Amino acid sequence: MMLVTVMPLGAQTRLGGSIRANPPSGPVPRLPDGKPDMTGVWLGGLPVGDISTALPKGETMPIRPEWKKKMDAFQATDDPQAHCLPLPPPRFTPYPWRMVVTPAHTFFLYEMYDWRQVFMDGRKHPTGDDLDPTWKGHSVGRWEGDTLIIDTVGYNDKTWFDNKGWPHSDQLHLVERYTRTDLGTMKVEMTIDDPVAYTRPFTVTGQARLMPKEELVEYICDENNQDAPYLQGAKP
Amino acid sequence: MKQLACVITAVVLAAATQPASAHHSFAAQYDAKQHVALKGVVTKVEWTNPHARFYIDEKNDQGEVTSWNFEMASPNVLLRNGWKRTSLKIGDQVTVTGYLARVGPPAGPKMAIAESLTAADGTKMFASTATDLSR
Repeated sequence: MMLVTVMPLGAQTRLGGSIRANPPSGPVPRLPDGKPDMTGVWLGGLPVGDISTALPKGETMPIRPEWKKKMDAFQATDDPQAHCLPLPPPRFTPYPWRMVVTPAHTFFLYEMYDWRQVFMDGRKHPTGDDLDPTWKGHSVGRWEGDTLIIDTVGYNDKTWFDNKGWPHSDQLHLVERYTRTDLGTMKVEMTIDDPVAYTRPFTVTGQARLMPKEELVEYICDENNQDAPYLQGAKP
Repeated sequence: MKQLACVITAVVLAAATQPASAHHSFAAQYDAKQHVALKGVVTKVEWTNPHARFYIDEKNDQGEVTSWNFEMASPNVLLRNGWKRTSLKIGDQVTVTGYLARVGPPAGPKMAIAESLTAADGTKMFASTATDLSR
């Protein structure tokens, strides 16, 4: 009887896999039209804590001094995450996300908080007054060989790149490159161009791993956020 | 020596929690120097985001009751670490270790984060984010 009450400490996915298993290996799955099938539940992408660790070796973040000063003044309670606000790329979370590519759209479903839509129909970004600054920006996507490229502009300046708080202006232009390099691995490369906050464009690289037998769990951040009023001190 | 071990544990926990933490950093809300260890009876369970919480009443030898509000990981992480929504029930006797909030609500239960949670039958239950989805 005792055994019945014992809670397994094993760490399992929602459909019975192991959350700590190595990603499966094998060839890139392909759709009938020959393009890589990006479908799946993925974990990871870029570092959650500090994206500067994903720069090429020896590089540092080319942030302008006045923006570094602004960043250094951030308090823990300034983090959008603490208030359940969006965390769009290049920010990642420790939770999984699903990618769905269709001829008209690519959708990202992030377990923590949010979704994104990417227009795949060849349209251009709106310009001038038609481009409203938003949390997630305006995204258009296209294939280049086996790589899905997503181009986004039209951001507000309220999000951070990671837990550390690397900031950006509303002139951010993000180019994301997703390449499924084998069955279980997605290479993620992001080029950040923000001439207001940074002196030059820079590229950060990471990877996500497939989580087989996994599905997304609902995460409604606002329902019981007791933490925000009690966060103390500067960001790590 | 015991104190030193406690501090070492705290530093290790803080370091382990930080990279994997979602929603807020450990250090911003909890004090790694204020370790707590207590036994009590569960009075409420909140299966909510961004964190699941359980509330317990701790009774001292004089019969005085202290109420606690313990933060755990979020339900998605708990589910992936062996929990069901019904794993912890009102009336359960539990042993908890954790860390006190730097600043908590001025009234009501004391706010803390659970580091370990042990049921009355000795079953150790996953509690917080130190070992969530990150490997």
